[in-house]
Amino acid sequence: MNDLFAAYKPLFDITLLSCGLAFSQYVVLRAGVESFATAAFAAIGAYFAAILVTKWGAAAPVAVLAACALGAVAGGLLSIPLARLRSVFQAIATIAFVQIVVSLILYAEPVTGGALGINGIPQLVGTLGLLLYLAIVVALMTVINRSGIGRAFDALRQDETVAVALGISVIKYHALAFILSGAIAGAGGGMLALNTFSIHAEQFGFPLLVAALAAVVLGGRTSVLGPIVGAALLAILPEIARPLAEQRLLVYGLILIVIIIYLPRGIVDTLAARWIAWRAVRQTPSVVLGSADDQPVH
Amino acid sequence: MLVQQLLNGLIVGSVYALFALGFTLVFGVLNILNLAHGAVFMWGAFVGLYAVTVAGLPLPLAFLLGTLAAGILSVLVDLLVFRPMRKRNGDEFGALVASLGANLVLISLAQQVSNARIMSFPFGTFPIVIFEFLGLRVSLLQLTMIGCLIVLVSALLYYVYVMPFGRQVRAVAVSERTAVLLGVNPTAVYVRTFFIAGALAGAAGVIIGLAFNSVQFLMGEPMMLRAFVVIILGGMGSIRGAIVAGLLLGVVQTTVVTYISSQLSDAIIFALLFIALLVRPTGLFRGLRQPARVARS
Amino acid sequence: MTSLFIDRVSKKFGGVTAVSDLSMTIAPRGITGLIGPNGAGKTTVVNLITGMLKVSSGTIRMQERDITEDAPQAIARSGISRTFQNIRLLKDASVLDNVAVGFHMHERTSLAANLLGFPSVWREKKAFRERAHAMLQRFDLERYADYPAGGLSYGHQRRVEMMRALAMSPTILLLDEPVAGMNDVEADALGVMFRQLADEGLGILLIEHNMRFVMSLCDVVYVIAFGKLIADGSAQDVCSRPAVIDAYLGA
Repeated sequence: MNDLFAAYKPLFDITLLSCGLAFSQYVVLRAGVESFATAAFAAIGAYFAAILVTKWGAAAPVAVLAACALGAVAGGLLSIPLARLRSVFQAIATIAFVQIVVSLILYAEPVTGGALGINGIPQLVGTLGLLLYLAIVVALMTVINRSGIGRAFDALRQDETVAVALGISVIKYHALAFILSGAIAGAGGGMLALNTFSIHAEQFGFPLLVAALAAVVLGGRTSVLGPIVGAALLAILPEIARPLAEQRLLVYGLILIVIIIYLPRGIVDTLAARWIAWRAVRQTPSVVLGSADDQPVH
Repeated sequence: MLVQQLLNGLIVGSVYALFALGFTLVFGVLNILNLAHGAVFMWGAFVGLYAVTVAGLPLPLAFLLGTLAAGILSVLVDLLVFRPMRKRNGDEFGALVASLGANLVLISLAQQVSNARIMSFPFGTFPIVIFEFLGLRVSLLQLTMIGCLIVLVSALLYYVYVMPFGRQVRAVAVSERTAVLLGVNPTAVYVRTFFIAGALAGAAGVIIGLAFNSVQFLMGEPMMLRAFVVIILGGMGSIRGAIVAGLLLGVVQTTVVTYISSQLSDAIIFALLFIALLVRPTGLFRGLRQPARVARS
Repeated sequence: MTSLFIDRVSKKFGGVTAVSDLSMTIAPRGITGLIGPNGAGKTTVVNLITGMLKVSSGTIRMQERDITEDAPQAIARSGISRTFQNIRLLKDASVLDNVAVGFHMHERTSLAANLLGFPSVWREKKAFRERAHAMLQRFDLERYADYPAGGLSYGHQRRVEMMRALAMSPTILLLDEPVAGMNDVEADALGVMFRQLADEGLGILLIEHNMRFVMSLCDVVYVIAFGKLIADGSAQDVCSRPAVIDAYLGA
């Protein structure tokens, strides 16, 4: 039994990390911001933590918190130019941002090790640390969803014009979403660096962007369970069948296409919506059998 | 020396423009950011290359095949990916994600087929002839590149602005509903638009494959990012804008690579993108369609 | 009591003048009508008042305060709320949540409190939900509280949008064609509610096509055509003017 656990520990760790990064992607989409900058924030956090530990001998909690803070700052800074942009422009800008960060990391060789990356990072973060990280993130997301912030995010995501007419400040909540996204990914990146012994720039480019996005698309963008289910499924898939592991790109691509066309809200959200509708109809049978003016209109 | 760099920049820029044209056309007509465009470009290069190396065809024919194949592939992407989305009233975000998925699928197929190797056209595929002209060196290939751009763009402009189909494209770009009411067949518009966009990308692919003597499964990615800059600078959906901005970008990139650093060229170009997004998100020219981009007008 | 003064406001889109030199007053405790043929610029006026569109020239004042340059969120928070011509509900959310979101601007808890989940946040949320329920009861839609808003009938959806606007506790309420597409019975039921709200102190701007409805409800009516004011006065007065009849029946 111990052997079994040991064999699957790395997978479990990666799954926890993927869930965390998925939440970074989730929080911006929840607020109606089309940002894909998660990978860039993770890169910033990872390199910062790695440098703090390898060059300055920092302790793990300090490095992770610092990575989290830097990620938050990066998110806040990014939100400023992006405040005036919407949808495709935000998308383009954040995709480009990911590339810029990777480019700059490769360029800053004396600090970041360039293309070789940073190696020999002591493994200061284990499964327990990752569980703690994910627990905090999930708790935070749950609180946010239920609070006034969730209310504002929902309005902004579904109809920004209405949200504005209701007195909701777009700038404030978009900035908050970016900062949260940056903080979660920064901390996640930091933990990644301190858990996997080495990091290099390319792992924070397009592949990570896609992985975080796919988890949220697959699982769902509204319910807190969404990113967890999505990330877990994506982590397990390569273990189920060898071909799936080898064709990672292909599988991710197909998943994205099929899910966004046929199950656009993701697994968890679709199930949740069906359940809510079913429950509502069940509680008000008079509606179904109701009078003429109760005809649902689409 | 500077003028030489300018010339080189313009030529590289002409291919950027060619690539971005298809991209901006699809955005202008359908309001979709087709992130699979780079993969179509890459497949155009692949088909062109294999036509020469495997089928032993002469270059002009290979070029044609590459262009055609890319056009067809582009239409396939629309049929299999975007059309189902339209049927289900998908939103912009959905289309973006779907195109991302299509990009991944196309790239991974190319990776399989090519075994992730970097391939190149056999030596002598294109005659190496250099002209000296007013102290500048221009190769026959470079002249052909510019020539291709001029021919293809002229054809495109003629098609869109002069031929009846072009009016239909512009009608659908303004309002699909109204266009349908006016008797326009939107499916035909989509198919033709995607074909043209793909064909232009495929042509650009073969040209780039020849010019840099390298064809590999990831060659579309850097092009996509340059296309972003081109369409932001030039204006989403603007044909003129794509050409001017493409040429401009080519010049800027060549200058940066020569005088500053080739490693930083990517970062500098993307910084330009950011600045363009901030300063003038509408671009230098008005496009076929003006998407809503800020909350208050 | 707050009045809304629109003073010689114009709006140009490039070469097109949507609204030209318009002056209006929306008085409290009353229902002011704004009528005009399609395309006259009525919704543009609403968008100008709420700040969704920038005024080209002229001023808009709430009592003495100049709100012409204010951001839309600020204007909403100043006490001006609106409904939309094509109903804009959050379709995925329940009816209750749609109404509850209208209370958002009354939030007293800080952002930090909301992030950390302090008890004050949950208390406030509960209070908002209770107020939303009260609103639903008042408008007779309590049984639909948990129903997805998009599944309601057209008339009911309009009522939900109205409740949402009222949740903001406005002093001025802008209603953009609130009874369009309704039969007379439904429209009159809503009209009674409007009258009640006006009697309670609200200043309502009613934009409508339905002349009978406007005549029966409005204290003052403004008529615009092609972005210009062509008549104003009491309902009977205005409806008998030749210029108005021309605008509605003319080419």
